[in-house]
Amino acid sequence: MLSRVANLVYWMARQLERAENTARIVDVNAQLVLDLQSRQAADDPKSWEPLVYVTGDEEKFFELYGETVTERAVIEFMLFDKRNPSSLISCVSLARENARCIRDQLSAEVWETLNTFFLKLKSDDFSRYAQLGSAEYLSRVKTQIQLFYGVAESMIPRTGLWWFFQLGRHLERADNTSRILDVKYYMLLPDLYAVGSALDMVQWASVLRSCSAFEAFRRSRRGQLNLERVVDYLLRDDVFPRSILYSVTEAEQALGQITADAVHLEDTAPARLIRELRAELEMIDVPAVIADGLHEFLDEVQVKLFDIHNAIQATFVEYDTADAKVQA
Amino acid sequence: MSDLFANYEHGKFYDEMFAAPGKARPHYRRLYERFGLLENMAELMDRQRTADQTFIDRGVTFTVYSDNAGTEKIFPFDLVPRIIPSHEWAHLEKGLVQRMTALNLFLADIYGPQRILKEGIMPREMIESSKNFRPELVGCKIAKDLYVHINGSDMIRDGDGLYSVLEDNLRTPSGVSYVLENRQVMKRVFPNMLRDYRVRPVENYTNDLLNLLLYLAPAHVPEPTVVLLTPGVYNSAYFEHSFLARQMGIEIVEGSDLVVENDKVYMRRTDGLAPVHVIYRRIDDDFLDPTVFNPKSLLGVPGLFNAYKKGNVALCNPIGTGVADDKAVYYYVPKMIKFYLGEDPILPNIETFLSGNESELSYILANLPKLVVKSVNEAGGYGMLVGPHSTQVQIEEFRAKIIANPRNFIAQPTIALSRCPTVIEGGSIEGRHIDFRPYILNGETIKIMPGGLTRVALRKGSLVVNSSQGGGSKDTWVLNDDVTHPPVPVPEKIIV
Repeated sequence: MLSRVANLVYWMARQLERAENTARIVDVNAQLVLDLQSRQAADDPKSWEPLVYVTGDEEKFFELYGETVTERAVIEFMLFDKRNPSSLISCVSLARENARCIRDQLSAEVWETLNTFFLKLKSDDFSRYAQLGSAEYLSRVKTQIQLFYGVAESMIPRTGLWWFFQLGRHLERADNTSRILDVKYYMLLPDLYAVGSALDMVQWASVLRSCSAFEAFRRSRRGQLNLERVVDYLLRDDVFPRSILYSVTEAEQALGQITADAVHLEDTAPARLIRELRAELEMIDVPAVIADGLHEFLDEVQVKLFDIHNAIQATFVEYDTADAKVQA
Repeated sequence: MSDLFANYEHGKFYDEMFAAPGKARPHYRRLYERFGLLENMAELMDRQRTADQTFIDRGVTFTVYSDNAGTEKIFPFDLVPRIIPSHEWAHLEKGLVQRMTALNLFLADIYGPQRILKEGIMPREMIESSKNFRPELVGCKIAKDLYVHINGSDMIRDGDGLYSVLEDNLRTPSGVSYVLENRQVMKRVFPNMLRDYRVRPVENYTNDLLNLLLYLAPAHVPEPTVVLLTPGVYNSAYFEHSFLARQMGIEIVEGSDLVVENDKVYMRRTDGLAPVHVIYRRIDDDFLDPTVFNPKSLLGVPGLFNAYKKGNVALCNPIGTGVADDKAVYYYVPKMIKFYLGEDPILPNIETFLSGNESELSYILANLPKLVVKSVNEAGGYGMLVGPHSTQVQIEEFRAKIIANPRNFIAQPTIALSRCPTVIEGGSIEGRHIDFRPYILNGETIKIMPGGLTRVALRKGSLVVNSSQGGGSKDTWVLNDDVTHPPVPVPEKIIV
């Protein structure tokens, strides 16, 4: 397939996955704030601040909204602000723009599902969000994205188009799950003795809920919620679809399909990097990782995912034409 | 039986359907009777809405330039077809083949020995001052000696019903996707009428086009790769580009997808570079190769021109065809036919005055309110003055432009374009002016799709049919045989 088309569909998938995760993170925080109601008022800056750090865009946020973190500012920034390239609206609008460029290759239903979603979302704002309530509003958003995935899954032929879609989607998901796990790093506990307290539990539960992993976790581990178990689950559970290891494995498989017909690309940088990351995740010693600093470890995972992304770009999209292989 | 045409105003124009008020021409009688079977106008309006919705659902749209939002609109479609009986079509076909043959010989000559200039049939200056003449290509050998592959000549009928050629479009004529889509919609709305009329199918067009493109491929390539080069998704004709690419099963590419290495063209695929042998380009010459033509073009492919000159890649249409649709060169087409073929033109031109000729310039300036003035290199109804429909201020503006650059304009009398009954929004049928664009393919043989794009000026009294200026389109039915004595119609349930 054409490099440009591959890149468009890859980014379309990344943008949509990011949109979904943004909706998840906001949703969970909104619920968490309700659980904390007794202790903190909803407009306590501390309740919303972690989200700003999770996006990795805190500089942009403070530049646009000043130093005071309010619920409204965070919602505006993460959902409706077009100046934030990672906001829900920015992601969906970019995904739709990409789809428009390859519309001739998408079936009518795939295109229409995304286009209808975008057209509805376009006119939404904070007052619409407040009017419906966060749970209702965000569940509608998530449903729309899930609907798109469903239609795409049943409509897109398993050609390169689909595998680049899968590749983008799972790399983005791996990155997003690592960020969600990292939220906990920014959620302050009142003091060291609060580890294992009710508040600590509520926070861990919310991290799991961000990934729709709460019930799955309960079923799989039956154990008490604690740092080690949650990290282990989200980092490297091999059957939960949103765990980092699972997402990386899916991306690796998509990559394998892409290079199946191009033997000369089978063992190039993207494949090597992704294989290394998967192997590392399979082997890690979770207690040691926590002891050495979870935040630093997650940072490293994100850097590796970014390296994989760059390698994909360099191998399939922006390669130097002077020494590219010429097909017979 | 209702008569939807009871209040139809015949007017002083040539009417495609009626020979006289209430008297349908033989080839329209059956349609006249079928429309009579419709309950009332409301039922016809229902069909019209169904047709409109079908276009929206199928995404048959074009982008409006003037509007910053890049709004997508449908090209309005009218349910009353334009019907061309077979004897008329035979005449058109003969005339168009003759014209295409002469235009090809003219281009071969201009980019070769230039006999027509040496023998003084056309002034050399006229060619050399043409914006679309490419002196770089004089003496350059072209694949299969075909100097033009696709022409969409615009034709009109005057007050007496005489067909003539208004202009030729030898660069990248558009609109053929509407012809194909219009027919699809008509098949849904009036299936029985189409069958009973024995309308000739237009379906083969994309097949013929693909065969033509494959025929152009360099001789040594066993399985040539053909691509369609588009300026991109924001181009007003993008729908057509992607439609044709899908129909032919070829890749649609943008300039950035193509690279030239060692004078060979490749497309960038995820698995490496894949050779490209034929490019159906929907980009004007100026934007094809920034190293040779417009250096600011981001749409083109650096190095493409050399690959083309070396014969490593074929372009459709070839570079430089635009010199033949310069509207001042158009003036000479009848002379070309005589010069190259020794024949009289079967299809006449419209009477045309060149403001570049001094004697004709003074006539033009004295008669501006009666004339249509066109800039020689513009298309799409831009840069023109319709004298009878213009204000004094507009006329004076044009007068100044003509005096400043006489080579740049031609003038023609205002033609009373023929009219065809058309469904009007309020719920009536009225006569509206129409023109016609057939599509002529010049490959191993010359092939003309039996049909074409009939454009209709939807605004009352308007003579401008361009989609950018409030025009719509109609399905064009070329009949297999002339239906002079239609059998008694059977009641028809219109299936949608």
